[in-house]
Amino acid sequence: MIFAQPKPVDEILRTIASYDRVLIAGCGTCVTVCGAGGEREVALLHTALRTAVTRSGDKNHTFQERTVRRQCDSEFLEALDDRVEEVDAVLALGCGVGVQTMSDRYSDVAILPGVNTSFMGAPTEWGVWDERCSGCGDCRLAETAGICPISRCTKGILNGPCGGTEDGKCEANTEMDCAWIRIYERLDASGRLENMRRYYPARNFRTIPRPKRVVTRAGTAVESADG
Amino acid sequence: MYPQLADFPIEGRSAGRTGPARDSSLIPPCQMACPLRQDIREYADLIAQGKTMQALQVIRNGNPFPSICAYVCNHPCEDACRRSQVDKPIAVRALKRFAVELGGDIMIRTGAETRYTEKVAVIGSGPAGLSCAYYVRSLGYPATVFEAHSELGGMLRLGIPEYRFPHSIVDTEVERLVQMGVEIRTDTRLVTLDHVFQMGYEAVFVAIGSHGSRKLGIEGEDAPGVEDAVPFLRAVNLGLRPTVGDTVIVIGGGNVAIDAARTARRLGAGQVDLVCLEARDEMPASIAEIEEAVEEGVTLNCSWGPETMTADEGTIGVELKRCASVFDEAGRFNPSFDETVVTRLTADTVIVAIGQMPQVPEGFRLPVGRGSTIRVDPATLTTSHEGVFAGGDAATGVGTVAQALAAGRLAAFRIDDYLRRRYPLPSDGARQNLEGDLQPKTLEAIEKRVRQEPPVVSPEQRVRNFVPTELRFEWPTAIAEARRCLRCGMGAEILFQDQCAACLTCVHACPYHVPHPDPIGTIQLPADQCQACGICVAECPAQAIVLRRQADHRHIAEVLDQGPPNGSGPRQSRPLIVGFCCQYGLYGTGTLAGLWRRSEAGIWIVPVLCVGKVEANHIMRAFETGAEAVFIAGCGEQCARENTAFWALQRTERVKTILTQMGLEPERVRSINLSEQSEDPARELDEFIDAVGALYLASAVEKEVSG
Repeated sequence: MIFAQPKPVDEILRTIASYDRVLIAGCGTCVTVCGAGGEREVALLHTALRTAVTRSGDKNHTFQERTVRRQCDSEFLEALDDRVEEVDAVLALGCGVGVQTMSDRYSDVAILPGVNTSFMGAPTEWGVWDERCSGCGDCRLAETAGICPISRCTKGILNGPCGGTEDGKCEANTEMDCAWIRIYERLDASGRLENMRRYYPARNFRTIPRPKRVVTRAGTAVESADG
Repeated sequence: MYPQLADFPIEGRSAGRTGPARDSSLIPPCQMACPLRQDIREYADLIAQGKTMQALQVIRNGNPFPSICAYVCNHPCEDACRRSQVDKPIAVRALKRFAVELGGDIMIRTGAETRYTEKVAVIGSGPAGLSCAYYVRSLGYPATVFEAHSELGGMLRLGIPEYRFPHSIVDTEVERLVQMGVEIRTDTRLVTLDHVFQMGYEAVFVAIGSHGSRKLGIEGEDAPGVEDAVPFLRAVNLGLRPTVGDTVIVIGGGNVAIDAARTARRLGAGQVDLVCLEARDEMPASIAEIEEAVEEGVTLNCSWGPETMTADEGTIGVELKRCASVFDEAGRFNPSFDETVVTRLTADTVIVAIGQMPQVPEGFRLPVGRGSTIRVDPATLTTSHEGVFAGGDAATGVGTVAQALAAGRLAAFRIDDYLRRRYPLPSDGARQNLEGDLQPKTLEAIEKRVRQEPPVVSPEQRVRNFVPTELRFEWPTAIAEARRCLRCGMGAEILFQDQCAACLTCVHACPYHVPHPDPIGTIQLPADQCQACGICVAECPAQAIVLRRQADHRHIAEVLDQGPPNGSGPRQSRPLIVGFCCQYGLYGTGTLAGLWRRSEAGIWIVPVLCVGKVEANHIMRAFETGAEAVFIAGCGEQCARENTAFWALQRTERVKTILTQMGLEPERVRSINLSEQSEDPARELDEFIDAVGALYLASAVEKEVSG
């Protein structure tokens, strides 16, 4: 899932400064799971913003809150239509995808991000979130024992480990496992070390252009680049 | 025993604190086990908060005479208590006595309005009769209680010895009935029911109890010096102090036998032998009674049956044979003996207490069934005669006081239905019952806590007189005991499944391993396992979880909505400080009372039922209402949960981050443990107040300068 973190309240205060009426919009999917933009955070941010403006003597700002099932689908945003009409800006606590879906739907209202979308990842223990996927569009996990070197190796190299590995840790962050050592260990343990004894040629990222678009509509399923 | 009894609409039922808010809590096993369906979980919780008056209100809601139950209830609730799976059940009866006495039951005045003209007669002034009179009168009927004896109370007064139940309580309760307008006629033995109807009564409740003694049917039973327990106890209870010899044999294993044995000890018998068919663990008497009798020097001779009795110069010899088994394979009472194992006991007096049965006057012309009991329809308590209802021991054989009170209540409602010519009202049945055991991993996570017993007079002291043996709980022990309640069935539920993001926060946060994803990925939160700590409610990022009793959940937010009470609002000279304080533990230490006093100093106390329920947003809202600082005070080591401090920290840290981002000092939030152990529990708080005062001053100066 997509992991995000709440933006600092001072930054949010600066971004909303010129908009009096603000709707705080939560998202009930990924950012709820990671605790950055669900009902609870929306309510907390709402209170924090009210408190901040009251303490600063600012009487112009008004806030509303509403959380939808998923901000990245325009159909779910319909529930917000009436409210958006009444405000000058929407503070969207969905991920970057949600913020953009909202901007597309409400192009004449300022849609402001309320969280910093960080990565696609998973909790490795409760309260600890780790990046797991870069969405590169060319999955190599079959050869790397289910450990992604693109997202979990600092360099993202396809033939590792590099010289910077030490005691199984990465030179860039000695707390962090070297992804390639982990790949080696897991392949070794399952008798698949021949996977390591191959050279993976550098990928041609031109064939994985950005932004990506995939059409899954029946009969017309083709991959094409946009722009 | 009376299956239709549950959930009658009782006046004032909605007077509890639940109010109109949604309540999907389940009925706990203790309440199901109580013949009166007392809301034990609720009043235990109120006692734990030190709210004895509200607890008493809950108790009185559905119990006409809580002061009686406080002493003599055989507490089937304790047998059903799920805490016994963890360690031992809650001491419910002792807690009830605590609430009844400290909640001021004796001060409560009663009254009733006459709404109808139909008169109702109640025959017998035992618990069933008095209870019926109470409810019939409350419903608005003129009521008269007829009592054959000169003393009121039936077995309460004539059967139960004073050391177990002070008879003055019956006087108090009867006085209240008289206040309500119930007419009392003592020394009035009715021989026919026709006469009652001729006197103008339109409905009769026959609650004549079970005063006839069963006979052993053995040789020598009628010898001088052999007595029946019921007349013996009656004589003692009427103050006659009958003489007993120095040695006494009591035959029987029930509560009456124990009463007779302990009474004989108090009358001066040096050696009291109790003989019963049952093995010790089969004895029908309550365990506590047996233990107390043994402490007082009563010798138990279990698994013996009397064969013959012989009187010889003032001494009675009882031949005993070994009882091999009391019950047959089908579980029926059918003793078998080993005739080869015999023994003999001698004593000056023998008291026979092998059971009682009703003695229904011939003239009542009521058909009787097994054990000479009046035949009634258990659902409506009607007899074969129109307008005649019967209940209590007279209809069921010897039962408990609570069952008798329940029967009286049921009779009153059925008499009302009868006189108003309507079908009995159905029970509301809206709430489900909680059933099933706690799962092992949840059991393991529940902290074990020693059951608190009320103090008792020492055995040496108590055999000297008839003063009640059990004393009342002290405040700290009562609160500690009430806090042991697991509050079964009022835990959390996922109210909005479509809002649940299945993030597993509740699964990870629950200290009791209750929530879990089912095979299709829906999060389940089984009501029979949840311990109602409220941590998941506060943590759920989708706010999809609520407590089954909404009032418990909304409480903090509602208090914050109301704003600070007068006198503690913000002023120029002093900052407002909000404290979320554990209402359970801090009451017991007296710390909360100390904090209340400080409310003058600008502290606003928001009592919470466990700091685990305080959300980050609650803390933030306190700042919104004008607080300059907020503290959370848990009850420390007293807390029944292990990790509430962790959760309090988790939330205070979140708020500190936000405060910092807003340009406020994180020192404005503190989580403190005001525990009993620390020398001065409030010192940490004092330091906090000083620190906040300094911050407040500094920010005020800064404002001046920059402004």
